Amino acid sequence: MNPEFERNIWLELTTRRVLLMIGLLALIFFAAALVGDNWTPSSVASWLYYLIVVAWGSRSAALSVVGEIRDRTWDGQRLSSLGAGTMTWGKLFGSTIYNWFGGAICLALVLVNVVTHLGLATAVLELVYYLAIGIVAQAAALLASLVAVGRGQSHSRFEVFVYQLGGLAAGAAVFAVWSIADPVAAVLSHKQAIDFIVWWGASLDSRAFLLASVVIFAFWTLVGCYREMRLELKMRNGALVWLAFLVFMGIYVAGFDAWLSPDLKNWDPVALRLLLAASAFGVLTYVMVLLEAKDRVHYRWMAGQIAQGYIANALSGLQAWMMSYAAGFAVTVALALWLLRDPQTAATGQPLVLAAVGFVTRDVALFVLMQTLPGKRRGDFAALGVLFALYVLIPAILTGLHATGSLFLFFPQVQTPNWAGAGVAWIEGLAVASLAIGRLALPERPAKALPA
Amino acid sequence: MIEVEDLVYEYPTARALKGVSMTVADGTITALVGPNGAGKTTLLRCLAALENPYSGRVKVNGLDTTVAPREIHAGMGYLPDFYGLYNDLTARQCLSYAARSHGIASALTAAAVEKAAGRVGLLDRLESRAGELSRGLRQRLAIGQSIVHEPKVLLLDEPAAGLDPQARRDLSALLIALRDGGMTLVVSSHILAELEDYCSEMIIIENGLIAGGKAIKVRDDARPRYMIELATARSDLKDFLTAKGADVAEADENHALIAFTRNPGARAKLLRELIGAGFDVASFSESSKALEDAYFAQVGR
Repeated sequence: MNPEFERNIWLELTTRRVLLMIGLLALIFFAAALVGDNWTPSSVASWLYYLIVVAWGSRSAALSVVGEIRDRTWDGQRLSSLGAGTMTWGKLFGSTIYNWFGGAICLALVLVNVVTHLGLATAVLELVYYLAIGIVAQAAALLASLVAVGRGQSHSRFEVFVYQLGGLAAGAAVFAVWSIADPVAAVLSHKQAIDFIVWWGASLDSRAFLLASVVIFAFWTLVGCYREMRLELKMRNGALVWLAFLVFMGIYVAGFDAWLSPDLKNWDPVALRLLLAASAFGVLTYVMVLLEAKDRVHYRWMAGQIAQGYIANALSGLQAWMMSYAAGFAVTVALALWLLRDPQTAATGQPLVLAAVGFVTRDVALFVLMQTLPGKRRGDFAALGVLFALYVLIPAILTGLHATGSLFLFFPQVQTPNWAGAGVAWIEGLAVASLAIGRLALPERPAKALPA
Repeated sequence: MIEVEDLVYEYPTARALKGVSMTVADGTITALVGPNGAGKTTLLRCLAALENPYSGRVKVNGLDTTVAPREIHAGMGYLPDFYGLYNDLTARQCLSYAARSHGIASALTAAAVEKAAGRVGLLDRLESRAGELSRGLRQRLAIGQSIVHEPKVLLLDEPAAGLDPQARRDLSALLIALRDGGMTLVVSSHILAELEDYCSEMIIIENGLIAGGKAIKVRDDARPRYMIELATARSDLKDFLTAKGADVAEADENHALIAFTRNPGARAKLLRELIGAGFDVASFSESSKALEDAYFAQVGR
């Protein structure tokens, strides 16, 4: 047995705790059966599953590494000979084994009810959904905690709660997506479930598509945990997996062109799909530049490797936000070239998308710049504050002052002349990037002189 | 066993190690000493492949820490200065987990646990929970976890901190036994007295650099160190001792610290010759503070 999983079983599944869980759940179900009305044992079991596996399980997963750091046992684990995969699944399913034990009891009750009323096929769909939402939520919480550990963040109760929120948000997203097509939810809410989803122009069965999507995203979340664990164990991650994820995201998101706003109806499908892919890469760039450690030492190391001609070494140190930015840049350039085919979109659309990349450049450089300033531990909050001012506060003030003509200085706007917006965006982007690079190049604090 | 070449380690605002080069030989116990904040713990963490160097290279048993960190981890034991234990597990479970997570097969785990527990004197406490053990016993359990897989290299950061005199003596005996069993040990401390009993080499870290640039041999069982003190100052003391075959570590007109053969007859002869040459010898004794003497000889008092 996986030693990490076994250790967690020793700690989590004690006889007393197992009996406590069984007894408590039995009492709750009995009470629900007596109360009746809307509170049947199976509906209570469903909500208890969310509570035990998704909410509580996210906390257990978030604590699986952070708790080790807090208790000063993490270095001992890092020095073991367990592989990153073994450590990841040992922690993910070991730390949550008590939650899964309680969840399994609840799920059994839910599935018996679904089999009885809606048949075996629906029960299988529900089983996949319930397992997926639990795994996605717990893996997202573990991933959030591992990312934070990589950033050198502390492990206060509040921060653990934030990692748990990451899991809850992922669980809520799965819940919301599945609610669109869930046959059980449709029966309970007396609403019509969506039967088909248009993706890449094809009409697909919504349940199969959404469940497959959830399973695939669960897979990517687990891959993320595995890669973060590798970094914790001092193993190197290559760029290929993140590039593969970018390709997947680009293709997946580009397929939803039919869902885009009617305002873009004069854009052809290829342009719309490129726009969606570029937007996905843009969102990933923002998310990753916020989450990843913007380590001055690492950036200087990369620059040093490039200066010495060790390009492969430098590329091995590429962060996810850098690759996402590069992918977004490349797709946007492709989009800008594609838009040239139509004079109307070339006149307005092309400057807008180029301005968007310029502003993304400015914003990303802002995150890096803030990390090089004094008080860098709050650098990300400072960057978010500046972005809030640039995108919300100042535009609101300018709009109030009827000075909307200057909004193009802050975010992409249709402007006359057409290229003014893109020009300003790129000037701002390059200026902030130059500042950030200049700050990164500053030497470290002078060393104290050796005693005589 | 351990080779460090021009190791530089940077924190975002300061350079903790500024070009450390050193070698730790097989089957030795090396003291890593220096004031607080000198870079000892950072260096140990680099040796343990827990931190990647900014530049330079660390090799353990021929493996580069940046290329094969997990292979190095598998053959290494490390006791950090602030360690934790699983308080709700028994000592047996703690040792079993350490053994299994270091790749010892299930069938061999029980024997490995018994052996490690025997080495650290915990055989009678194996069923006690870690949280119920005293500080000294917790320290033993932590060391037991570090050696249960019989690593080739053992790194210990301030291992005797907080231990009572008997526990420190037991620790010394254990470390010597591990070295005699073929293990290579590096022990970090800023308390020289606790290293005196078992270290044969000393590396002084000061402000991110190795003071003096290399390891200092502080103990040679065949040629121990002796302190000679004179009642009357003589400027030719150093030259006289050198001429008689002593290795003079430090000397002035009133005293000399020398390395000399342990042979009683040879020592008696040297003493006779000193007195015969008119040196007013007040004492001639084996130095009990070899490490401390060497440290202050290097960094100044």
